[in-house]
Amino acid sequence: MAIATQGTASNYLQRAPSPSGLADVVDLILDKGLVIDAYIRIAVIGIELITIDARIVIASVDTYLRFAEAVNRLDLTQTEAAGLAELRDGGGGNGGDKAQGVFEGMKEKVSGRD
Amino acid sequence: MTVQTPPRRGADVSATALYCYGVTAADTASPLPGAGLGGASVEVARFGELAALTSAVSAGTVRARRRDLLTHFDVLGTAFEAGTVLPLRFGIVFADERAVVEEFLRPRQDELVGLLRELAGHVELRVTAHYREEAILAEAVRESPRIAQLRAATRGGAAAGHPALLELGELVAAEVQRRTAQDASALLERLRPLARRHELDQEPIEYQVLRASFLVERDRVARFDAALEEFARDNAGRIDFKYVGPLPPHSFVSLGDGGR
Repeated sequence: MAIATQGTASNYLQRAPSPSGLADVVDLILDKGLVIDAYIRIAVIGIELITIDARIVIASVDTYLRFAEAVNRLDLTQTEAAGLAELRDGGGGNGGDKAQGVFEGMKEKVSGRD
Repeated sequence: MTVQTPPRRGADVSATALYCYGVTAADTASPLPGAGLGGASVEVARFGELAALTSAVSAGTVRARRRDLLTHFDVLGTAFEAGTVLPLRFGIVFADERAVVEEFLRPRQDELVGLLRELAGHVELRVTAHYREEAILAEAVRESPRIAQLRAATRGGAAAGHPALLELGELVAAEVQRRTAQDASALLERLRPLARRHELDQEPIEYQVLRASFLVERDRVARFDAALEEFARDNAGRIDFKYVGPLPPHSFVSLGDGGR
């Protein structure tokens, strides 16, 4: 399969042949794929230990306050002075870091749904 | 959680069962020595044009350790290099080969053959798009005078407990949501014409613009790449992408009810 190894010739985008993290694999093989029926779907142990570090957006006072804090933390003089070019180079600081997000609340993947 | 495997019919209880990875066409199926769960060999259970990829596991339960999940995924990926594959969800076990045929392949024969034909020549491409936090928040401040005003009023150490913080946060949340809807539909508009079908993951996740799978004909993958590339370039600095594929069509297989 020739295209499996042929990435996109791009600075903005890379197509990877397979997911980089377990969470993305879990996404595909626990949530998707053929299910035959409840009679045959079996016993899976251990899946409850797998959590996905994905923060779900929930409208709440807490969320709003964290948003307010995040926007107040923002150093606009830097982003304005540097302009989009700097952001393009990732010079905008921690913006791309998911762990710095303003939401909390872990989403858990739990086994046993039939 | 723990659930018993289905009771065996008539047979005595043995120590093994057959884990099933997916279904492929009989003429492209081949065993994969040592590639299965726990190092077992992946075998082929055939019925007519169909072949199920299976390997022996201990009866009772299947563990879902990291390497088990990756093994399931990899077996399907390897089979996908040889031909069309219908992936099963992780964790499906039959009592034995006879059960694979009699409880799955035979009663679902028409549907499975139909799916194999329909999906032949297609791949799944998975696209995840995220905002860069700093970039999207800066946009909100720049383009909403009210947000900028509230931000100016609440910045600094003494801001904690400021009554305007809540309003600020709510406005920012709404602004991010508005942009998300806008950018997601713009992205979909570019990609949809190049895909046969698509499936959106609906859960709203922080700063996520879109998470979706696209069913794309193999010979259109390069065009899909180009379209996504163009969107990524237009949004450089504000949206980051994860782009994975070609994958077996995990998101595009399903069976109707009944058939047993």
